[in-house]
Amino acid sequence: MFTAGFDTWWPRSHHIGKSPMTRALIEEKVGGRCYSEQEDGTECDWGRVLVWEPPRRFVFAWQITPEWQYQPDLAQSSEVEITFTAEADGTTRVDLEHRHFERHGAGAGAMKAGVDSPQGWGSLLRIFAEAAERG
Amino acid sequence: MNTYQSAHGHHHVQLHALGDATRRAIIERLLSGPMAVGELAQAFPISRPAISQHLRVLKSAHLVVDRPAGARRLYQVNPAGVEMLRAYFDRFWTEALAAFAKAAEQEAEQ
Repeated sequence: MFTAGFDTWWPRSHHIGKSPMTRALIEEKVGGRCYSEQEDGTECDWGRVLVWEPPRRFVFAWQITPEWQYQPDLAQSSEVEITFTAEADGTTRVDLEHRHFERHGAGAGAMKAGVDSPQGWGSLLRIFAEAAERG
Repeated sequence: MNTYQSAHGHHHVQLHALGDATRRAIIERLLSGPMAVGELAQAFPISRPAISQHLRVLKSAHLVVDRPAGARRLYQVNPAGVEMLRAYFDRFWTEALAAFAKAAEQEAEQ
């Protein structure tokens, strides 16, 4: 499991940084699409809302395989849970938990002998963490 | 000094490079320290030309760099390139979280 918790200010004027090529968009309901919009106008689905409980709790399926393909099968997708908690000092604490990575390896088509592994995501996280330490 | 494509577009090249399990495993192996192609080939159950091809893809994605060391070429992880991809993920998750936060704020206002 990969769990991150951090304090974040969410002022009304909050603007999301410099404009990246893709915007992450959410359809605000259970079963809603999670997708991104590219500058060329195309859309890329990356998930689906599983739990929609504003203002506090949201869960969505992460439907991207370790090979960066869209995964239509929810049984082969991991999950991300996001919770918002008001802190006493007026800030909002945001917790994100990304779990069930092993599901990305499930299913007949996904496995190749030997090298491929459901730990594709774990591998990516290790690469990010250790490359940063050596940078 | 390498010049990178705009960070806005390069993540596609990098995601393609890391979307292969063998290439992820090669990067993980290189995290322990620089290695020559021959050494890498011994560490994996695939041919040396196949390793070279994977390294070409990783080099194009700026995830590894190589340098001569005597008669050999040593490959090592390029932390700046990996950091670019990590920054892309940061932006992605920041945007995704902002979308959920907006919904949380709107609900709280009602």
